[in-house]
Amino acid sequence: MDTLIELKNIDFSYSKDKKTIDNVNLGIGKGVFGLLGPNGAGKTTLMKILLGFLTPSSGYGRVLGFDIMKDRKEVRKRIGYMPESDCLMPGMDAVTLTSYLGELSGMPRQEAMKRAHEVLYYVGLEESRYRQVETYSTGMKQRLKLAQALIHDPKLLFLDEPSSGMDPKGRTEMLELIKDIGKKESMNIIISSHLLPDIEATCRHVIIMDKGKIVSQQEVHSQGIERFNRFEIRIKGNTDSFLERLKALDCQISTDDRELHSILIPKDQSSRILFKIAMETGAQIRHFVQSKATLEDTFVNAIGVNHDN
Amino acid sequence: MTIREKGYHQWEGELQTPKTPWMPIFLSGIRMVFKRKFAKLLFITSCLPFVFFLIVIYISTRPELEMFKDAVKFLTDDRMVFDSIMSNGPTIFLLMLMGIFFGSDLISGDIQSRSFPLYFSRPLERKDYLLGKYAILMFYYLLFTLVPGLVLVLFKVIFTGKILFTPRFIAALILTPVLTSIFLASLTLVISSLSGNSKYSRIMLILLFYMATPVTAILSHAFSGQYFFLFGPTSTIKQMSSFLFDAKLAFKYPGWLSLALIVLVSIGSYFFLHRRIGKLEAQIESGN
Repeated sequence: MDTLIELKNIDFSYSKDKKTIDNVNLGIGKGVFGLLGPNGAGKTTLMKILLGFLTPSSGYGRVLGFDIMKDRKEVRKRIGYMPESDCLMPGMDAVTLTSYLGELSGMPRQEAMKRAHEVLYYVGLEESRYRQVETYSTGMKQRLKLAQALIHDPKLLFLDEPSSGMDPKGRTEMLELIKDIGKKESMNIIISSHLLPDIEATCRHVIIMDKGKIVSQQEVHSQGIERFNRFEIRIKGNTDSFLERLKALDCQISTDDRELHSILIPKDQSSRILFKIAMETGAQIRHFVQSKATLEDTFVNAIGVNHDN
Repeated sequence: MTIREKGYHQWEGELQTPKTPWMPIFLSGIRMVFKRKFAKLLFITSCLPFVFFLIVIYISTRPELEMFKDAVKFLTDDRMVFDSIMSNGPTIFLLMLMGIFFGSDLISGDIQSRSFPLYFSRPLERKDYLLGKYAILMFYYLLFTLVPGLVLVLFKVIFTGKILFTPRFIAALILTPVLTSIFLASLTLVISSLSGNSKYSRIMLILLFYMATPVTAILSHAFSGQYFFLFGPTSTIKQMSSFLFDAKLAFKYPGWLSLALIVLVSIGSYFFLHRRIGKLEAQIESGN
């Protein structure tokens, strides 16, 4: 079974006037996938539809070969979920909580307890595994949420903003853990995040969402997106006309606060076009560097430069 | 080499499909309750009615304790004895206290900690979640009603050598504590599901359990209507127990009405809770 997730014409809305998920069609195979999008793009909602928490208003979906609406129990038995929100039950220590959730997943009690120690050790909570979870810092809670998602060794792991609220060191460690888990052939991961570096660091494939739709699906590093060449330029003179002309040629432009313009030119266009337009509009190119297209460029290109978020 | 250095490793075991998916919630819940502050004190106190009735049954069988005979005269009728054992004021009071201390946060705690995604990302349905929560309360309620009741039957047989042995009596002996427990557990869980604030749930339960009966008594006197007692949990349980044991009714309205009310409230509560959990789950999922 190569296709782990298959969605066809999925719609979902929390209110009548706005669709949160709009006619999503998606096929996900084995590996580590990133679900990327600005806040409110529908990433978490899509993840919850896949988990069977939310029922789509129309469409059809299968996860690991099971219908997401009819076989929820079968789906949930095989998946692990790390929620974004703070959701740990107080009054328990980490070992008790993790093994408890393992038991709820269908693990025998003794096995769950043994495995709880292992996963807590793995995520770096070995020293504090007997501490009450309400005394944990945000970073520790994130690790514990990952541990509880791993306890029953799921085939498919859903991680919702896994590095949220973590300090830089903790974040690096979390990403290392995800990378390590992702190396296992038997484990497939879907990471929802609005942080591009997280996706870039951990995923082989990226699915970009915006306004409830899938706007792009491609490999992170192969840059199937290398439909663009990226240039960084600084201009003096008639900048506005210069940029307007580029936009008319389907170029994507973003400008930083140092007036450095990052320009994505479609592959079929040569860099000469920049100089030609500069000459025609009376602009002077003062700085010109060709650089590698990044995931950020892909993202900006997919959702548009002038996105509200 | 440590596990962490070795990297992530797979679990070799096999996941089971348990027939009772609610069992881990139940087992974890009873352990958590037992660890609570005042739990042991409350449990010891809850044994006092049992000890009292044990002494009373013993006294009634000893000819040398003739001077107490008048006080324990009612013990000649097994129906009245066990009606009193199952629905006496102190026992009901203590059961309600258990609901307030141990049950008020059973659902509200999960609302507050927003832990529904952790439960429902497992192969667990709403009914399993609810059964687990019901089972926690039912365990402690039955431990202090059904178990002492059955032990006292045994002692009664040992001390007196006889006991009423009719199908109705046996049914009442089991049904009264079971229905009382379901009824109190239902009310406790409904109140607990109304708010994510356990203190609020506790206050609501105190009002419902301890204020309803005096209010119904006042209304009953003010309007000269015994039916008002139907709305007090204590009086309703008492009336149902007397009806089931075929003992003298405490209030002047048909006993089956209390039985019907308890059954209806319990069934209604389950459906309410089922919908409520679904709604809470959706609210939390949508981030509201």
